[in-house]
Amino acid sequence: MINLLQYIIEHLIIVIIATVISVGIGIILGIIGYWIRPLASPILLFSEAVQTIPTLALLAILMILFGLGNTTIISGLVLYALLPIVRNTHTGLVSVPPAIKEAARGMGMSKLQRLFWVELPLAFPLIFSGIKISVVNSLSIAVIGVLIGSGGLGYPIYRGIQTQNLNLIMSGAIPIMIMAILFDYLMSVIEKRLSRHAK
Amino acid sequence: MKKTHVKVIALATVLLLLPSVVLTGCSSSNTVTVGSKDFSENIVLGEIFAQLIEAKTDLKVIRKLNMGGTFVNFEAIKNGQIDLYPEYTGTALTAQLKMDVITDADETYRIVSEEFDKQFNIKWLKPLGFNNTYTLAVTNEIFETYRIETFSDLAAISENLVFGAEHEFFDRQDGFDGLVKTYGMKFKGEPKKMNVSLKYQAMGSGDIDVTDAFATDGQIKQYNLKVLKDDKNFFPPYYAAPIIRKEVLEKYPELEQILNSLEGLIDDETMMEMNYKIDVDNQDIKKVAEDFLREKGLI
Amino acid sequence: MNFIAFIYEHHAEILTSLLKHIYLVVFSVAIGILFSIPAGILLSRHKKTAEKILAVVGIVQTIPGLVMLGLALILFGVGNTPALVVLSVYSVLPILRNTYTGLTEVQPGLIEAGRGLGMTSTQLLFRVELPLAVPSIISGIRISTVYIVSWAALAGLIGAGGLGDLIWTGLSTYNTNYILAGAIPSAVLAFLFSGLIGGILRFVTPRGLRGNAA
Repeated sequence: MINLLQYIIEHLIIVIIATVISVGIGIILGIIGYWIRPLASPILLFSEAVQTIPTLALLAILMILFGLGNTTIISGLVLYALLPIVRNTHTGLVSVPPAIKEAARGMGMSKLQRLFWVELPLAFPLIFSGIKISVVNSLSIAVIGVLIGSGGLGYPIYRGIQTQNLNLIMSGAIPIMIMAILFDYLMSVIEKRLSRHAK
Repeated sequence: MKKTHVKVIALATVLLLLPSVVLTGCSSSNTVTVGSKDFSENIVLGEIFAQLIEAKTDLKVIRKLNMGGTFVNFEAIKNGQIDLYPEYTGTALTAQLKMDVITDADETYRIVSEEFDKQFNIKWLKPLGFNNTYTLAVTNEIFETYRIETFSDLAAISENLVFGAEHEFFDRQDGFDGLVKTYGMKFKGEPKKMNVSLKYQAMGSGDIDVTDAFATDGQIKQYNLKVLKDDKNFFPPYYAAPIIRKEVLEKYPELEQILNSLEGLIDDETMMEMNYKIDVDNQDIKKVAEDFLREKGLI
Repeated sequence: MNFIAFIYEHHAEILTSLLKHIYLVVFSVAIGILFSIPAGILLSRHKKTAEKILAVVGIVQTIPGLVMLGLALILFGVGNTPALVVLSVYSVLPILRNTYTGLTEVQPGLIEAGRGLGMTSTQLLFRVELPLAVPSIISGIRISTVYIVSWAALAGLIGAGGLGDLIWTGLSTYNTNYILAGAIPSAVLAFLFSGLIGGILRFVTPRGLRGNAA
């Protein structure tokens, strides 16, 4: 039981770190695509392309670069988390009504000020939705990390497969499902509240 | 929740979690990291090392057991991610040093000890006693049908049989390619590859007819398999021993004597029994390791 | 060993794995289609239960691939069967959901028009609703296929073959050549399928609806 708690914590830490990093990179990429229109397509295409690459293939290649361990799985998760965040950031920013942008310009805001005080806050519900999708996906994908030397709930699952021990497999799978449902629910609630504020 | 609040929380999370990741990542003082390959025998040996060290020293042991195959562990020990793991002489000779097979057990041990010391700064401690050689196993039905005893006999009827093994077996000097060439074997269709622990189930269900069994595997008895004789001596001897980074030995010299106390304590029979308990009786690996150490009076 | 030399020496093995991979993908997506389209049609007729069922299927989708493989392993043993079962199950959701959405988002005005013309429910289905839902359905098939190409790589773990075998061997033996020999073709395969089905999607979408394709 104590072991299980350790795996759960390891799993969570990996997912949280990856999410924080991908949120940072994702939002920045979304902003760049928004400010520099010609870059929007390539950025979105890149994120989509990364998603198309088979998970095991991407992780194996990352392992060649970063070796065994948590760095590899975290970088893999970051790459996979990009698309929902980048796409939603971009869409959210692009959807800001032009009238509001004009009003902000009229008030004398610089581009940066407009971004931070008007556009990002309005886009935030959508961005948050993208983060939610990323987190739930990452919880599942992080399981494969065990195959390239990282920790987390993949460990009991893998051992369960090797010994064909259903209990072991479930002891790893159920916490993941519970966390996925929990995160999805909590973040959906927050998302709705954010949408209301934004209006 | 205001955006600034979110940013602050995110930053705080990173600051709080980063140290814990960094700490779990590198080996801090007074810890030893034990690794193992991803099959029961190697895992229980790793567990035995871990429990022994915990019992006899104040050191904290970090376990990274069940961590992939031979090469994963080898890479890990070379770059310091693990400090020691159980390895086999024959594997080290052919798969890692990529040298030709020799059949003398002592000579094999001598060569790998010297080379690992010279090339990788890794020390081979005393052998545990058993020889877990690669063998070929067939189902009892096939034995009854064809009455084969040796690998050469198998080669003669190999076109009727499907071969299966773990992925690692297909990329080693002492593996599939060499075996097939030495004996002129030609199996039916493509060889099937799967995770090492699933081979025996595949034998049992008839998905494969021949597999590379490890001599001390408990499932050989469980599935009533017939082990064949390596009449051309293709496979080298595989004596198991702890291998450890010399840096770690210099830091904690007492580890040498502690791990050497296992010398010769595990013979073929003993290892097979432990494997059987884990794989067939589904006993907990930690318990099997503990029972063994108690029985031998080591803890 | 030089990568090109490696490919040359192992080309038979690589080809076998590639073909097996394609087989696994095509077979399981086909099963997914055969099941999901009729099921989607059924669901579109019972919208209330549909939402609940889609939610349940959605939850199944979040079960990590390795877990599903493990369960299938215990039920069906080693080899093709467990792999195909898992892959088929995974291929269902995108196709099912997109069939349902495609059908339910047909503009009511068009259905009214059809009824006005004297069409029966079946005629409505086959002559109005399904054709309009086709872009959505094909989009779902595309998502499914890319998804399955990815998960099929895990099949090598339980003896089903495919490009995963090459990746696994590479991971077990820390052999970069093997890893790339498996990883690159699988990525290319994913892009190829995605592009191919995307092309079919563009071809099949009536020009008037081009903007709406998901």
